Amino acid sequence: MHNETQIDSRPLICGMDVGSTTCKYVLSTLDGEIISQFYERHNTKQAEKVLDFLGRLEREFGFSPQRDKIFFTGTGSGFIAPLVGGKIIQEVVAVAAAVEKMHPKVRFVSEIGGEDMKTIFFSGEGETKNKQVLMQAACSGGTGTFVEKTAKKLQITPEALGKMGYEGYTLHKVSSKCGIFAEADANTLLKAGVPVEEIIASLFEAVVYQNLASLTGGNTPYPQILLLGGPNLYFKGLQEAWRIHLMKIWKERGVVLPEGVPVEDLILVPAEAVYYGAMGCIEIGKGEVAKVAVYEGSAKLKWWIEEGQHEEKKKTGKQGLWSTVEELQNFMNEYSPENAPKQLEEQASGESCSAVQEFEIVNNELAAKIGTATVDEKGELHGLETTPAMLPAVTAAQTGNKLDRVIIGCDFGSTTAKAVCISPETKEIVFSCYALSKGNPIEDARALFREVKQALNGGKILGVGVTGYGKDLLKNIVGADCAVVETIAHATAGLHFFPDADCICDVGGVDVKIMILKNGTVSDFRLNSQCSSGNGAFLQGVAERFNIPLETMAEEAFKAGAMPILSMGCGVFLQSDIVNQQRKGWQGAEILASLCAILPLNVWIYAGGLNNLGSAGRKYILQGGTHKNLAVVKAQVDFIKSKVPDAEIVVHPYSGEAGAIGAAFIAADWYEEEGGKTEFKGFDIIEKLTYKTSTSPDTVCKWCPVNCQRTFIDVELPGAKGRTWSKVPAPEGWERVIVNNSCPKGLIEDASEVKVVKTEIERIKNEYPNIADSVRSEAFERVIV
Amino acid sequence: MNIQTLLTPFARKPSKELLSKDRSTVRVGIPKVLNIWNTHQFWIGFLEGIGIKYTNIVFSSNTSEEQSREFGKGRGTVDCCYPVKAMSGHYGELIFGQKKKINVLLSPLIYSMPSSLQGHVVANNTCTRVMAGAENIKSGYMKEKDVFVENQIKYASPYCTLDDRIIVPQQLFDGLKDIFDLTYEETKKAVEIGFNALDTFNKKMQKQSMDILEQCAKTNKPCVLVIARPYHMDTGIGHEIETDLQAHGYPIVWMQYFPTDPTLMNWLFEEDIKEKQIKSPFDISDVWPSSYSSNTNEILWAAKIAARFPWITCVIRLSSYECGMDQPTFTPTQKIVENSGTLFFKFGDLDSTKPSGSVRIRVETIVHYVKKNSASIIEKKLARMKTQWPPVKAEALV
Repeated sequence: MHNETQIDSRPLICGMDVGSTTCKYVLSTLDGEIISQFYERHNTKQAEKVLDFLGRLEREFGFSPQRDKIFFTGTGSGFIAPLVGGKIIQEVVAVAAAVEKMHPKVRFVSEIGGEDMKTIFFSGEGETKNKQVLMQAACSGGTGTFVEKTAKKLQITPEALGKMGYEGYTLHKVSSKCGIFAEADANTLLKAGVPVEEIIASLFEAVVYQNLASLTGGNTPYPQILLLGGPNLYFKGLQEAWRIHLMKIWKERGVVLPEGVPVEDLILVPAEAVYYGAMGCIEIGKGEVAKVAVYEGSAKLKWWIEEGQHEEKKKTGKQGLWSTVEELQNFMNEYSPENAPKQLEEQASGESCSAVQEFEIVNNELAAKIGTATVDEKGELHGLETTPAMLPAVTAAQTGNKLDRVIIGCDFGSTTAKAVCISPETKEIVFSCYALSKGNPIEDARALFREVKQALNGGKILGVGVTGYGKDLLKNIVGADCAVVETIAHATAGLHFFPDADCICDVGGVDVKIMILKNGTVSDFRLNSQCSSGNGAFLQGVAERFNIPLETMAEEAFKAGAMPILSMGCGVFLQSDIVNQQRKGWQGAEILASLCAILPLNVWIYAGGLNNLGSAGRKYILQGGTHKNLAVVKAQVDFIKSKVPDAEIVVHPYSGEAGAIGAAFIAADWYEEEGGKTEFKGFDIIEKLTYKTSTSPDTVCKWCPVNCQRTFIDVELPGAKGRTWSKVPAPEGWERVIVNNSCPKGLIEDASEVKVVKTEIERIKNEYPNIADSVRSEAFERVIV
Repeated sequence: MNIQTLLTPFARKPSKELLSKDRSTVRVGIPKVLNIWNTHQFWIGFLEGIGIKYTNIVFSSNTSEEQSREFGKGRGTVDCCYPVKAMSGHYGELIFGQKKKINVLLSPLIYSMPSSLQGHVVANNTCTRVMAGAENIKSGYMKEKDVFVENQIKYASPYCTLDDRIIVPQQLFDGLKDIFDLTYEETKKAVEIGFNALDTFNKKMQKQSMDILEQCAKTNKPCVLVIARPYHMDTGIGHEIETDLQAHGYPIVWMQYFPTDPTLMNWLFEEDIKEKQIKSPFDISDVWPSSYSSNTNEILWAAKIAARFPWITCVIRLSSYECGMDQPTFTPTQKIVENSGTLFFKFGDLDSTKPSGSVRIRVETIVHYVKKNSASIIEKKLARMKTQWPPVKAEALV
């Protein structure tokens, strides 16, 4: 409709819907004849897009200041409408008005937007017609972004996504609550060989489920149904999912459907589905008095885009990560590695390798620079110009005879695998290294041990401890002496250096872990499980986007004299918030500072669920790779102290290696107490590890309806029994590792293996009874009197 | 020690003559939720007592996400308590998910509960939110149209104070007479059968717990005590967290069925009684003076037990998302348990999904400490006891 140009002399009325991902307008005459309608993605430049639209409306359709009217709706309309004289109409009110006008018989409306979702229930007739509105916009679960983000990751073009279906595909379990976790689930499914069509169908399922579960409030969606918003209109599969779910609900609830009416007429998806907000504006606008919402032209909006928003930036932003240079210098004095407490210095004095020292050197340099830094009149810090950090080349030769006899600790994390070597007597750390995870624990182990071998140069290994997600599978394969659960490894490493700590906060690549210590044990443990906000990978991702290297991220963040205010919470929305702030003129460094500043909120409150931080104690250890970034540490210190004024906060001297160190300490204890001979298989065997992976219908888990697509990794290991009886046989001399199962049951291959395992479970259950088992099996049975 | 349910030939069946009506074809569904988890046998006994055939008593299955998805979706009403919210799935399953339709949906409003602490505490009331849960969830099925009427199901929600056995017959008669066409006499008789059934079951479970405790004492091995509300035994509410510990080789006892055997009670509490800290083993006024709530009282009592019984080296505390009743008990229970040197681990804010990842890590963490510290905990706690338990039997002395 947009392409036809016709200058109209009649007074016009425009409805402009400024949404989270697109802008839409509808232009009509006062008697309702639609002249033009159009929509376009704004790529977070909402004001610019509106200005662009207004320019076209004026040029092509004669939309005139002082004569015509303009009404706004949508999340982005708040600051734009007053600049052009427009009046704002609440989104739901606008949509409802359009629906009532065009579809008087509709009883239920679902409007899914980019970053929000709404439902409207209509009940009653005529005068008594009532509507109930439910909406949510705080979380990505159930919105368009939720699907698009994952589709992008799966490299599906928007066009292809629109055509993908739902009906008839096998559905898999995908987190419906968080877009980032859904992406992770999708990734796992993809790796397991699930076709993308099934993954996308599962995403549609998750969106409809999330909408029905959280936005119906006990009401039944009766026909007719109207599906609105971009995702509902453009995703064919989503429409199918709605149809199937709604038909099922109707059947269950005995809703009588008009005979002979095809389902397409009961569940409507109008071609104008994206324009309802804008149409509603016109509908309501027609009833307004003459002087209201008169278009004032676009000059002010233009001024705002070019100048005003930058002035606003100064007004709305907050102080940077520091208030005075002195304050920052004091912080650096306390937290730069060279000023670490004496006790640590002794521990850290061994010539450790680059992995540990890299950040230490950078951070020490940063501290030195901040020591002489100055602030200019704009409030920005100077004197931090980057000089390339000179990293010493640490070789095994330099570390001398300390590597003759060592205990190895390895941490197989989700993003990196780390190893440290400690001296058995002094527990001094004599070597450390890391390898980026390739998602295959065997490959990771091989890469890691290759480096250790080189460093040891023939030195003797007395014991090996492993921790991290891969610990159980790797214990046998590398021949570790202890498989240590992550929490114990971290707590051991933390308590070794700070015996009086109350709480350990570990922010890693993907995981946020909070361990609360009582009487030297980990009494509580929080892991971010349903929401990803607050992890380090996100910070890193943003830094990369601004081309800021990881090592200098803190330096950049400290340069900022002011920073925008980002909203705590959903990582998916945070990304668009960042783009929005960038548009207002905030620079990379300022945005990074802001991200560092909100990280503690996300870690403690959003992910950890600790609203009362004081209950965690008063001495905090910060560890995990993310805490190598001193800007994050500064934000953490300020945040914790604001909640617990007398808190003592320390950074673990080997922040990123704490897990590996803990595993090494425990292996050292094992060596000391048991004095045994290590099970370590030797570098050569690990290097020569041959393995093959299989993912096929035969590896699907059949223990429950979830049917996880597992992967079998068969590793050649002298002496292994093999699995000749399996559907995917492994000959003698091969050990099988099962991955991609979502519960422990999946570790059992199939019924052939189950007998042995079941007998063992029954034996344990009989030997170690659980009263609840008896209650579950007997309490609801027939009465015995 | 998996004990199968035995149908005893001596089960006392209500004699047909006493019954005013033949109710052998009436099917009754009971949502297996909340405090049904510790009054189960009372309801079965009662229903059998009024002539409902055992095979016609239907309990919903354990809570699960699938149950909510299939039967509870969109029926939710506003309630922050997950165990209450989950009820809508149970109602739905009983209404829509039965091959043989039920005639009555029985969801009692239990105001107070029988408790081993009865008489030693101020009151045995239930959580108001839990009691009212039945009404709340019912409204989700009546909001637009009466689903019960539509499915020809009578909805029965009798109010009852199960800690006051004398007035229960009148309450159930008032609440159920129109549903089942009852006489007062037969109601009274059935209530008696119900309580007998419940008492018998509780004793049996206490005996099983006693066997575990004695075995631990005999072998000097640790066991784990679960401190939780009764419905945390529901695999969809408590997520079987204790089962993961059991799999590592630790027997599990639950506070609801901790034995009340006088010898054991005396052994644990005689010093406190002598010192006039408390009046009886079941007196919790030293730690919880406002002892109004039945489950809460038992939680505090269990903490005291855990602090004293040497072979309980670890306590697992389960609590559902934002449970207002649990909130004030967190610190006292933890302090009571930890001050005795016993390990204490809380799994809080449980809701619909089992946080498998963190539960696995936590269970492994707990196992690490239980393994490492149990021997010294037992030794320390035993040193505080003045006498031996179980007492050496006379014949063994000879």
